[in-house]
Amino acid sequence: MTGQAPSITRVTEPRDVAIVAVSQTDSHRSYLEGEPTLIMQCVNDLLARTGLDRDALEFTIAGSCDYLSGMPFAFVANIDGVGAWPPVYESHVEMDGAWALNEAWFRLQCGDIDTALVIGSGKSSPGRPREVFPLQTDPYTMAPLGLDPVSMAGIQARALVDAGLATEADFAEIVSRSRRNALANPHAQVANDTSVKDLLAEPYFAAPLRRHDLPPISDGAAAVILVAGDRAREIAERPAWIRGLDHRIESHHPGLRDLTTSASTALAAKHAGVANGPIDVAEVMVNYSPEEVVLRNALGIPPGEGGAVVNPSGGPLAGHPVMATGLVRFVEVAQRIFDGSADRGVAHASSGPCLQQNLVCVLEGEA
Amino acid sequence: MARRSAVVGIGQTKYSKRAKDQSIDGLVREAAIKALDDAGMTFADIDAIVIGKAPDALEGVMMPELSLADALGAVGKPIHRVHTAGSVGASTAITGATMVESGRYDKVLVVCYEKQSDGNATWALSGGRSGGQGAGGTFAPWIRSYISRSGAPEHIGWKVAVKDRLNALRNPNAHLHLKDISIEKVKESPMLWDPLHFLESCPSSDGAAAVVIGSEEVALAAPTTPAWIIAHAKRTEFGSFPGRDTVRPQAGVDCSAALYKKAGITNPLTQIDCAELYVPFSWYEPMWLEGHGIMPEGEGWKLTDSGATELTGSFPVNPSGGVLSSNPIGASGMIRCLEAANQVRGTAGDYQVDGARVALGHAYGGAAQYFAMWIVSSDPDPVFS
Amino acid sequence: MKIEYPYERTTGPVVGAFLGALRDGRIVGNRCGDRVLVPPLEYDPDTAAPLDLDLVDVGPGGAVTSWTWIAEPTRKHPFQHPFAFALILLDGADVPFVHAVDAGSIDAMSTGMRVSAQFRDERSGAVTDVYFVPESAAVAQTITPGQEPVTMTTHLISLEVDEPLAPHRERFRAGLQEGKIIGQRSPASGKVYVPSRGYDAMERVQMTEADDVVCSDRGAISSFTEITPVQYYGQEETEPYVRASILLDGTDSPIIGIDIRGDDIAGVRVGMRVQAVWRPAADRRTDDMDNRWGGAWESVIERWEPTGEPDDDPRPLQQYAF
Repeated sequence: MTGQAPSITRVTEPRDVAIVAVSQTDSHRSYLEGEPTLIMQCVNDLLARTGLDRDALEFTIAGSCDYLSGMPFAFVANIDGVGAWPPVYESHVEMDGAWALNEAWFRLQCGDIDTALVIGSGKSSPGRPREVFPLQTDPYTMAPLGLDPVSMAGIQARALVDAGLATEADFAEIVSRSRRNALANPHAQVANDTSVKDLLAEPYFAAPLRRHDLPPISDGAAAVILVAGDRAREIAERPAWIRGLDHRIESHHPGLRDLTTSASTALAAKHAGVANGPIDVAEVMVNYSPEEVVLRNALGIPPGEGGAVVNPSGGPLAGHPVMATGLVRFVEVAQRIFDGSADRGVAHASSGPCLQQNLVCVLEGEA
Repeated sequence: MARRSAVVGIGQTKYSKRAKDQSIDGLVREAAIKALDDAGMTFADIDAIVIGKAPDALEGVMMPELSLADALGAVGKPIHRVHTAGSVGASTAITGATMVESGRYDKVLVVCYEKQSDGNATWALSGGRSGGQGAGGTFAPWIRSYISRSGAPEHIGWKVAVKDRLNALRNPNAHLHLKDISIEKVKESPMLWDPLHFLESCPSSDGAAAVVIGSEEVALAAPTTPAWIIAHAKRTEFGSFPGRDTVRPQAGVDCSAALYKKAGITNPLTQIDCAELYVPFSWYEPMWLEGHGIMPEGEGWKLTDSGATELTGSFPVNPSGGVLSSNPIGASGMIRCLEAANQVRGTAGDYQVDGARVALGHAYGGAAQYFAMWIVSSDPDPVFS
Repeated sequence: MKIEYPYERTTGPVVGAFLGALRDGRIVGNRCGDRVLVPPLEYDPDTAAPLDLDLVDVGPGGAVTSWTWIAEPTRKHPFQHPFAFALILLDGADVPFVHAVDAGSIDAMSTGMRVSAQFRDERSGAVTDVYFVPESAAVAQTITPGQEPVTMTTHLISLEVDEPLAPHRERFRAGLQEGKIIGQRSPASGKVYVPSRGYDAMERVQMTEADDVVCSDRGAISSFTEITPVQYYGQEETEPYVRASILLDGTDSPIIGIDIRGDDIAGVRVGMRVQAVWRPAADRRTDDMDNRWGGAWESVIERWEPTGEPDDDPRPLQQYAF
């Protein structure tokens, strides 16, 4: 018998890929079970919602970070949550689940498979994030200083204030609004109605940042199912179609960057086509309140009435399950497209100190 | 539909116990620049960068795509980081290939590395605790099961250990250049995890390996012969579950079956010219020959014993010297994929397998639960019969 | 739980020059086109092209271009009292870099202020050899330069992980303390997992206390290897020992990480039937158990004694090796 490699054709148009189902756990201050259990909850939820069997999901890809628990190979246990028997086609990135979604999108473009399961998960509660995250920085000139993201965010905040681009009251307003929005989010960890005045009365923590300008410490997971082509319409009534997806990184050296802007977000937004239409909702990875100022500018979403709703979920300030936080932004936008409250949205994820790396996605529902 | 993709540039460092006086930036740049030079490109030509490496605790640098972005010319571009334990090098190569096959990028730089001398691999593999059994301690009992199941004679492991190190003598990049390697020396070396002797085990190495993967147009215009990536596959299973066959993991069987189907290969032993298999402990050569459908179950050791897997044999395995001769953990899987590409391009120098046209690159990881493999060919559309 | 390692990094010539200068009481940058980069880089940050080493002394004074006041330093920060992290543009440099300013109080910090480098008494060729103070507070220092170039730098990375035991794991621990081995039987498949992970991964089903079962403390060795310990940081083992897995009667997953030592090593084989010999209750220790590694077996079970029964068939046991 003659075996023959199937011939492959030139790609002309990208395949349409949509999010057809989403799931997220609550953002827990400290989840007593392990990370695989959080993932399992999301996967079982997705399968129940869609009625799909596990083996209908042809490619699985997860984002998580071993270092959160300090444990090499911690990610291996996570396959208990997604199921790997019979053997599955899966991969893993040591990045936020948003980048796992990015890789799944690429994989679906190849045309031989149509479905993907994407996971993001993490438990920040067992370790000390401010001591772990400095290990993301240059090992020779930054990490030994214990240079943590809170300190870097403080430096960025000062730069914004010095440049006249934001005030401390602006930061407090972002926190106040995020927490108030979170009251409507059943998964949120920090949700309350606190006035700007009360927030500004709090002491500095990493001046000009106060404790409430920082994200909480959270454990959680999120998952989505991607489907390519018409099949998406069989599974979801109103799929959230990925119309643009791009990510870019900036220099690691803070002295080489303009910390008052996010050049990589602007570039990714341009390549994702954010400006090609109106934005109804934007879920933006605002880990530190000043980042909302920077990211709005970069995405072209000015503050004020009548524009896009930014972080109706409360955003990461309301719950920050590291390595799932970016994917949760996709979950929140997609949900609003599913329920018809939004037609076109932006999901954004970031990685690294002071928004060093940024991923932007445009999601749309069909009329 | 997927586009074609090909390896158009290859670069690697000389693997060693401790990299020469080099920062992590310097190590990865050395491999990246060599691959770019080989491809006739500079960093500016690259559309996207993918890096892969094993647990960050090996170097104590978390999410290194962040601190290496500038060094790898990634500023203003996408950079992505894959982590699938020991198989990561091959997984990363596959991720790079799919990025080109997707049609979105035309030129992707893929770099895998480990600078494990900065830390300690045994410490990291033991989760930072005392009494770690390491990889060898985990695999040794399964190896003993293979030996008892197959009836393989005890010298098979020693034979592989010698063969791979002799091959490595022809590979200037290999870590171990054991000029006086012999069956006697292997037998006499200390027992680490019964039945594995010290000289049947891989070294701990620093090193980086890089490829540039290009689209069909890029490949046809490249200065070197492209190594067409005609198929790739990955499979994963739980590391432990009731009734698991750790000796012949189903994920490995399924992965190779999917790979061969994609490539149109019906008889891997005759249709593949040579294989770079991830063999960190000698006995994994016969075990993977069986576990990946190249030899029938129970007979892998016979192929090894016959000399067929030697450099001049009918099915050379690890002509580069393999993982037994160089093991920067995060890079090892990439090195297998890269060395397979070297073979079909005819650029493997003194360890070139004559007439190699189709080669297999393979890696495994975790508790022999992660599998990633690819087939490269000098022909973009080979027909197998 | 502490995860700690003293990393020792080779620096390469560029980082080595920077750290070596710090050890010697100087700060250097690298010329790149018409800019001086601090810290020096091996490559042009705009093109990633290689950069020759063309060092320029910078500082010791400079200006703060941005800063933050750290009210509650972490244990990894350069100071354990409040201080500032700042972007500092040193005199002669074109690129600011981040370092610590020991200013005494937030009121002493301002964007644009002048700061000056101070070098620590103990220096090792690391970025922590230097720190900064307001220029007016700087004191003159006499630093004796080192003899050899710096080619290595060390960084002790030590992380604390404090994860409470998951409920099923706490019940397992309590069971061991009482001389019982508690596993869980899957409500979906009926298989008994020990130690349980709190779920049946094969069926993707979470388990509860209702699924707990007391397992036999007798079974058969399903796999083993003799380990000659490799020395590494934190390793406490020195003598060869056997690491084994045991399939306890009535269970479907082996207990792993069982250490067999001394005279017990002889005769260990797959299929050998063994019985746990528990330590006296007062001697059992389970307080260092965590959610992941093994089962603290040796601190509750003194040894696994061969029962003398006929061996179990080794062949099916191969599938319960891990």
